[in-house]
Amino acid sequence: MVWGRVRIAVLLPTFNEPALAATLASIRDQVAVEPTFDVTVFVVDDGSRVPVRRDALEELLRADRPGRFALVLARHRVNLGQGAALETARRLSLAHARPATPFDAYVTMDADGQHRAADLAALVGPLASGADVVFGNRFTGGTEIPRVRALVLRAARLLEWALTGLRLGDAHNGFRAFDERGIRAVQMHQRGMAHATEIRQEVARAGLVVAEAPVRVHYDEASLAKGQRSWGALAILRDILYKYLFAGVS
Amino acid sequence: MTAAGYALLALVVGLFLFDLATLGTRARRLLIVEGLLFAVGGFFIASPDSATWLAHQVGIGRGVDFVLYPVVIWLVRESLVNRHHRWAERERLSELVRTVAIDRAVSLPSGSEPGSFTSGSEPGPGDGVHGNGDSAGDPADAQSSGSSTSRTA
Repeated sequence: MVWGRVRIAVLLPTFNEPALAATLASIRDQVAVEPTFDVTVFVVDDGSRVPVRRDALEELLRADRPGRFALVLARHRVNLGQGAALETARRLSLAHARPATPFDAYVTMDADGQHRAADLAALVGPLASGADVVFGNRFTGGTEIPRVRALVLRAARLLEWALTGLRLGDAHNGFRAFDERGIRAVQMHQRGMAHATEIRQEVARAGLVVAEAPVRVHYDEASLAKGQRSWGALAILRDILYKYLFAGVS
Repeated sequence: MTAAGYALLALVVGLFLFDLATLGTRARRLLIVEGLLFAVGGFFIASPDSATWLAHQVGIGRGVDFVLYPVVIWLVRESLVNRHHRWAERERLSELVRTVAIDRAVSLPSGSEPGSFTSGSEPGPGDGVHGNGDSAGDPADAQSSGSSTSRTA
């Protein structure tokens, strides 16, 4: 299958994120140089202290010359966590996908600028040749990864292999692409960071066709400070255990 | 009674008085249950021999163990049940917050349908103006016309 026009839904949770506008602008500018792209970004403000302003987003749209870039803005009244915000974006995008013109790709992306809009084409590409899910792989994408972070990621990769049966080159990379079958399969219950593992569990359970695409992750001090710490790994394990114990009991 | 016995009794009485002062009128029934449980506990603290006598009747070595085993088992169960309730409660909260967010989501540019080539129109007059100053800041609050609020299918 070759696409003439690629309709992409970008699912973008944000929480007190100063780089949100820059991230959106980079997506918009990428649309301008990719003649086949038609992108709608589903921004879910997860209860930021200062709400994401609609007029600030409209300001971004004024510079959208090709007219293939649109936004949908939703806001959680209280902070629930990144997983919950991503699930809201997922439902929102499915609600907006019309039968006549469905989205070809659903892309999850971080708002803090660590994922590059320039990698969108590479990430979405494998969907056209039959993949249901494409995971970004920062190890093959020429990312300069701090050594400690690389070690943690390798450990996480083994753990995810054990938990999900999916053996992939990268772990907890939030840059992913799904086709419609894929995105419908990954309903998330994990509100926190454990949703990344949950997604892989659902992908494995649904028997989806999985591919990986090289992406470059941009690290700076802000993203490293905010990124998952070692404590975060324990919280993820706890959340996975809780869901295992409690889901479906109520 | 030993010094440890007096200290434990003081702890039990102190805890009960603290709950009485802080929960007071709001949780009368809870306090009655707590008072009864503490009274039983206090009796066994004050009279370890009666606990030991009971323990021997059912084949447990020490009176303290007779009291502790069921209490620990009950606490573990209570902790699990509690976590489950909190988990389910937060699940419900998430659904509620999510539904409100989706119902009040706005499509930009105003009036556009996402995923189509119809965007690029100028935003209408009055759009993007924060009229009511609501600090909660739902996207839908920021519009004066209400025409572009998207609804779930």
